[in-house]
Amino acid sequence: MKFLCVECDEPMKLHETRAPDDSGSLSVRFGCPSCGRDIAMLTNPWETEVVSSLGVKIGPSGEPEEAASRCPFSGVVQEMQVKEMEAERASPTAPTGPQWTAEALARLEGIPEFVRPMARQGIEHYASSNGHAVVDEKILDEARQRFGM
Amino acid sequence: MKSYADIVGDGGSNVLDQVLSQRAAIADALAGVRHVLAVGSGKGGVGKSTLTMALARALAGRGRRVAILDADFNGPTQAHMAGLEDTPWVPGEGGRLALPRLEDDAVGAAGGRLGVVSLGSLLGSAQELSFDTVSHGEQHTWRSTREFAMLGQLLSTVEWGDLDHLLFDLPPGAERTVQYAQFFAGALGEGERGEGRVSFVMVTLPSDLSHGVVARSLTALSAIGAPALGYVENMAGYLCRDCGEVKPLFPEAAEGLDAPCLGRVPFDPELAALCDRGWPATEPGRAEAAGAAVAAVERVADRLDAVLPPGPPPGMPTGAVTPTGEASSPTAPGGQPLETES
Repeated sequence: MKFLCVECDEPMKLHETRAPDDSGSLSVRFGCPSCGRDIAMLTNPWETEVVSSLGVKIGPSGEPEEAASRCPFSGVVQEMQVKEMEAERASPTAPTGPQWTAEALARLEGIPEFVRPMARQGIEHYASSNGHAVVDEKILDEARQRFGM
Repeated sequence: MKSYADIVGDGGSNVLDQVLSQRAAIADALAGVRHVLAVGSGKGGVGKSTLTMALARALAGRGRRVAILDADFNGPTQAHMAGLEDTPWVPGEGGRLALPRLEDDAVGAAGGRLGVVSLGSLLGSAQELSFDTVSHGEQHTWRSTREFAMLGQLLSTVEWGDLDHLLFDLPPGAERTVQYAQFFAGALGEGERGEGRVSFVMVTLPSDLSHGVVARSLTALSAIGAPALGYVENMAGYLCRDCGEVKPLFPEAAEGLDAPCLGRVPFDPELAALCDRGWPATEPGRAEAAGAAVAAVERVADRLDAVLPPGPPPGMPTGAVTPTGEASSPTAPGGQPLETES
């Protein structure tokens, strides 16, 4: 979808994206680089779903990855158990598992969000079962060798 | 006034480029896969997943490097059959996941490997797969698109490496079979229909009803030029323990299907129990119960040998010099001469 400033005959640029509110509507603001006129595209929930189901990110080009990843359109699955696990992990009474080194954590955070909590749980179980208090890259490589093809 | 085609980009998100990047990531992740086999059924509950696992084990038993993607996201069974329900998904390098594999002794001594990616490793046996949605109560509208987005994400995320065969255990539904054919054509990035690397095998019951659904799938595949190797008829009678004969379970279909029949497998309770445990049907002493099934699976494996694209092992360019100094030539894995389909 593209937007054209009819008066200037200039394609408009995406300036800002606001995540869907409770009604499921996404707000995307475009501006004309020539005359400065702003417009906003406001979607209904079904239109929001169309874009979301493509698994793409909506946001100004050049936007930092961190901001782009906050966009709702990451196309990932959120499964009920994942949410429950995250809630349990956030609980102050949750049992503490092995600690993660920064390098190992970076590898974990590189994989898709929807499998991350399960992967984390599995690795922590493997580490604990083998007497490791810290998950580092060596443990990940060991597990990869053990379970991976 | 400018038209759509006059404007380069979309003003910010570059959605088309993102979609193309997704496809490129899938093609890149699957670059080492020599052949993709999709196992479909049309109707559910006909034994498609069981055949997929049996076939994968047979191929691995021949020394092949094989993987299964359990694309039946709403009813994943492959993790259970592979015994990988509790196997962790391990983060590898570059944001990819290690391909979970079966123990070597589960796939024989020929040096083959078998990996399985199934949401059954993530979901509990009674848990449903759900997606975040903003159109409350309308999730059904976009469900299929979401599932294909997730399929693409899985394909581009797993370290498939060099494989001889990647088997897709398709979800039931005649329309799904052709959707996957079109997905492969777009995602594999070679030729309009991914010619040469993708084949389909269908599984059916011997009844008119099941044949009818598979016939629709075959017609749809034929219409877009997707190659169907043939079909396997499951539950083709039952093995009577008293007389040892195979007797009918369903009224036989009046007409055959317009594809080669690769095997007919009678129902056998002992075989069914074996299948639930992931097809250890070739264990010593099990061959009698599984005889027809093993024969059917081996016949499909033979067909796959015949259609495996000629060329060097994955990752080695044609004409490359092997470590022994010989120029590579078309051979099947394991060094057997490759029979090309006439």
